[in-house]
Amino acid sequence: MGRYDKCLLLVTALLVGFGALMIYSSTSVITPVLAKKNITEFYYFKRHLFTIVIGFIFLFFAYYKLKPSYLKKIALPLLIVSFILLILVYLPGIGVTAGGASRWIRLWPSTFQPSELVKLSMVIFLARYMSMPEYRTDSIKSFIIPVLIMGVFQAAIMKQPDFGAVMSLAFLTFAMLFLSGIKLRYIASLSVFAIPIIIKLAMEPYRLKRITCFLDPWKEPQGCGFQLAQSFIALGSGGLTGIGLGSSKQKLSYLPESHTDFIFSIIGEEFGFIGVIIVIGLFLVVFIKGISIANRAKDRFVYYLATGLSLMIALQALINFAVATGLVPTKGLPLPFISYGGSSLLVNMVAIGMLLNISKGEDVSGSYNNREMITRKMARRKIGTGKWRIEGAAQYQSHRDYRSPSHLLR
Amino acid sequence: MGKKRAIILNTAIIFSFILVSLRLTDLMIVNHKRLAERAKQQHVKVEDIQVRRGIIFDRQGRDLALNLDLESLYCDPEKLAADNDDIKRLASVVEKEPAFILSKIPHEGRFAWIERKLKPETAEKIKGLDIEGLAFLTEAKRIYPRRELASHILGFVGVDNQALEGIELKYDKYLKTMGGKVFLQRDASGRRISSGVDMEAKGNNIVLTIDEVLQRILEKELDKAMAQWRAAAATAIMMNPYTGDILALANRPAYDPNRGGEARDAEKRNRAITDCYEPGSTFKIVIGVGSLEEKLAKPGTLFDVSRGSIDAGGKTIRDVHKYGVINFQEVIQKSSNVGSIMVGMKLGRERLYKYAKLLGVGEKTGIDLPGEVSGWIYPPERWSGTSMGAIPIGQEVAVTPLQILRAYSVVANGGFLVRPHVVSEILSPDGQAIVSFKDADKTRVISAKTAGIFKDILKTVVEEGGTGKSASVGGNKVAGKTGTAQMINPVTKRYSKEKYVSSFVGFVPADNPKLAMIVVVYEPKGQIYGGVVAAPVFSEIANQALSYLNVPREDDMELSHLTVYR
Repeated sequence: MGRYDKCLLLVTALLVGFGALMIYSSTSVITPVLAKKNITEFYYFKRHLFTIVIGFIFLFFAYYKLKPSYLKKIALPLLIVSFILLILVYLPGIGVTAGGASRWIRLWPSTFQPSELVKLSMVIFLARYMSMPEYRTDSIKSFIIPVLIMGVFQAAIMKQPDFGAVMSLAFLTFAMLFLSGIKLRYIASLSVFAIPIIIKLAMEPYRLKRITCFLDPWKEPQGCGFQLAQSFIALGSGGLTGIGLGSSKQKLSYLPESHTDFIFSIIGEEFGFIGVIIVIGLFLVVFIKGISIANRAKDRFVYYLATGLSLMIALQALINFAVATGLVPTKGLPLPFISYGGSSLLVNMVAIGMLLNISKGEDVSGSYNNREMITRKMARRKIGTGKWRIEGAAQYQSHRDYRSPSHLLR
Repeated sequence: MGKKRAIILNTAIIFSFILVSLRLTDLMIVNHKRLAERAKQQHVKVEDIQVRRGIIFDRQGRDLALNLDLESLYCDPEKLAADNDDIKRLASVVEKEPAFILSKIPHEGRFAWIERKLKPETAEKIKGLDIEGLAFLTEAKRIYPRRELASHILGFVGVDNQALEGIELKYDKYLKTMGGKVFLQRDASGRRISSGVDMEAKGNNIVLTIDEVLQRILEKELDKAMAQWRAAAATAIMMNPYTGDILALANRPAYDPNRGGEARDAEKRNRAITDCYEPGSTFKIVIGVGSLEEKLAKPGTLFDVSRGSIDAGGKTIRDVHKYGVINFQEVIQKSSNVGSIMVGMKLGRERLYKYAKLLGVGEKTGIDLPGEVSGWIYPPERWSGTSMGAIPIGQEVAVTPLQILRAYSVVANGGFLVRPHVVSEILSPDGQAIVSFKDADKTRVISAKTAGIFKDILKTVVEEGGTGKSASVGGNKVAGKTGTAQMINPVTKRYSKEKYVSSFVGFVPADNPKLAMIVVVYEPKGQIYGGVVAAPVFSEIANQALSYLNVPREDDMELSHLTVYR
């Protein structure tokens, strides 16, 4: 007790540190356009270092202060706050529009992207929601409510527009609902929503083309396949060992978003296959550590929370990898801990802080769930006596929709 | 059940990580070579080395053609963010129509020139407009600081510095060092990133045989003659008769090579070598030298031209005046057509043709300027019955002014046919001579004795009683010959009564020539005779040239001896 997961902290620090290195590498080329804006070779790097410092402060704050019991209390208010922030994006004077997208709110001395916070709020809310006694995996109501909430958030984010965030929020929500044991047919029934989308795509083939472009970027390497083709060229020219730190050619304005959404490709170009496999491995370690922390959880809320946080990081990383390698349609999504962009980094650092807090195992959320689990533990201990067994069985039966952490059922 | 779901989900995620790794193996290991090649294709750009053309100097090292760095405006159509107002403002800065600017912006590609080699202040103004997608490249612009001076020798280059005329064209491969290519890194918009190579190779420099001062004198006098005689055109060439070094060469009309693209064809014509004319009396050098060399005549040999006319194949040729009985020397001095035809008949077709050829008629001189024509003289078997009445006096032949000058240089230098040239040396950028044309390329065509005798005859032309008296120069003896020829009317194919070509060719000082020169005035108004129109031009130019060249006056011989023994 009282020992946090040192390995998780170390791996996080490694990813963040490596990210800083890559930010410097991919932004230190000054084009005349940037020079005109007085952007120096250290401009992005300095800002990123500043974000990292703030990120670690947030991480330790989350580690010390954001106990699961507290998070449970603020789950719903946090979700509401997130939604308000998401709306503020459209308010003139507060919202910041860049590159045709209104994704940020002004926050001296920088900006903040509420859609990143939404992911975290959603995880906490879902963990809270799915651990409530009223939550029933065979109740359509228990399914509809989170899906509706997700839908509202998606609609707000869609308008920015930030399709990548919409998709990652959907993945995250469904992954958690799936984990809770919700009936698969509920999830499957949502496919009816796909019908209007399919019709729309069928009627406007150019939209379809933009989505399916990832299947063969070489068909239009100057058109819709440009970014992906450039990503492939970056990765491919890296080979096994890469062309060396700082030597990337693709960052010379060939590969758009080379320091944000496509930084993975620059890593591949400069550090080769070995480099990207190490990065993937580090994310895998984060995920596995997160899952093992979840599996040590003493109640359902903590279990769902830890799993949700791990999923949040792992899914984002996965989608980012999949986009860069052309496995899914090209959508902008930052690579956690590594991409330039403060909001993503801060949110993910907070998530790690929470996981580290949970890993200490000091706090239990102290609710009915907990009592119920203790009862069940007792039931297992007293397994010899028929009465307890029956009682336990009856109780289990009555709460069969309460999915408890898997290790408790061993 | 919860455990099962967790296992499924975790497995799916771990499997996805593995899938990404497999995909990366495919992209980074299996397709490495192919993609690396593609990367190289787009990163590395093969460019011709932009050569900074060599400088063209005159014989004294004064620069006649050099380079100036100017900025050229181009746009990246993909990045261009200009609204109609921007286009209008840009158009007004470059002083063009907005439609012109729009026509320069293509719908595809990443690079298009808008306006090349802008004036520095214009470039600054465009930068001030701050339009996204417009950018500049520095280009070397060829500058001819003396404008029209020697324009027909220098020639000019186009906007891409491609050689179009003159020395620029003839010596193009030297002026830009040959066929280099350089591999450059470039970014997505095609800008160069870096290169270890000196991006701008320097071309070789060229030293001309031209002397800027002599050229200036010659052009100034040519302009005066053009104005005085309201002539259609004029040409003058000054040459060192021993070496073939062209000291000055000019034509009128001329053009400013800085705006060579705008010049009219007539202005660009280097008449000295590209235009043929019937030489008229200056051609009498052929029968003169021929009959002396063949010992058919001596200066004192008498010819009876008292009839004032002669019949050749049914055609009557007349003299301007009736001279009575004159000797051979006077035939040339007074330019008697009748006497010349008599000499020609004595010489005969074969030998007349032979000496014409020996003196370089109907042959390219081999001057190192583009566009030279050979002129023509029919071989004897094609001569008609009237040819004997025409060719000895310079009709039915076509020559260039330079050919005639070269023929007279044979007399000036004691019997050698030289190869005229305008380039004396080609120097590498660090000043080493690569090619030198200083050694005269010459062939003996007549004996020194013949040359000497004919030179003395030519001196009398510029003396009292000669046709070219007004070519004389104070202090130094001039030897030369006048020429007046009717031009052929291109419509009627007959000799024109109004259009003449007046010329004078000669050298000075006669006994030790420093320069040989021909002056040709096309279509002078008011006067037609070479002795009246062209000879004074010769005199003016020669006078100034000799004093510039510090040639001692023959009436100051004592002084010149002092100079020698100093």
